[in-house]
Amino acid sequence: MVDVTPELLTDILGTVLQDSAFMFVEPDQEPVEWSDKVFAASLAFESVRGGTLRLTMAVPAGVELAANMLGTETTDPEAEENGRAAVSEVLNVIGGAFVTRYFGAKVPSQLGLPQAMLASRPVSGRRTCAALVRTEAGDPVLLELDLE
Amino acid sequence: MALDMLVVDDSPVTRKMVRRAIGLCGLEIGQVWEAGDGAEALSRLAEHRVDLVLADINMPVMNGMELVERMNADPDLSRIPVIIVATPISEQRIERLLDIGARAYLAKPFRPEALKDLVLEILGKGESHG
Repeated sequence: MVDVTPELLTDILGTVLQDSAFMFVEPDQEPVEWSDKVFAASLAFESVRGGTLRLTMAVPAGVELAANMLGTETTDPEAEENGRAAVSEVLNVIGGAFVTRYFGAKVPSQLGLPQAMLASRPVSGRRTCAALVRTEAGDPVLLELDLE
Repeated sequence: MALDMLVVDDSPVTRKMVRRAIGLCGLEIGQVWEAGDGAEALSRLAEHRVDLVLADINMPVMNGMELVERMNADPDLSRIPVIIVATPISEQRIERLLDIGARAYLAKPFRPEALKDLVLEILGKGESHG
């Protein structure tokens, strides 16, 4: 089992966003000011240790994510309609990447079903570790890990 | 001959992404049906003949593993190859999927070319070398 560090989470988050949706991000430091509403998703996992991953994206970043995943423009109503589902799905991929890298590919792991919502603020947790990145447009994306 | 496919995933975004990848991968595609879980997939398969099923694992109602098991137990459905398209999973889980009858596993995110190569290999239409 590797050490869980902000760098590990940043690497997983950046790689998945790039490979899933051609979104390029840069690491940033907290604190972050969340303006307006956010897409907030969570995903439970079970392995050698259980825990939860939480992904928070500014709404414009979630819409950009959906647009890129669907191969459309951010102005397309379909992108806006699918922002929450896109954030949920990308957290699912992040979860798979996390458990296989953190616990190892030979260790049995089980992911739950991701839950996502449009929220007025990020959902808080015990937070073992976190990574903050910004999209090319400057919108924040936060990945948090709660280990049991 | 055009391939008819069934895409099974609880995420509407992923179903659209997979459909898009299918469209981009250069295969001759006929009808592409969709289902949101394994149970819905079995209903679609009762209605439509398909050449290939692309299915996620983690889904509500009936997950991808149960879908593969149910298809493998049905003489009419066991001939249809199933490719599991899912998030990275443990080697043990991949082996289990192949043991129960899935033909291949493709990790998300994937390139359309990777899907094409896998489909051609499974359907026995891959390029012969040597």
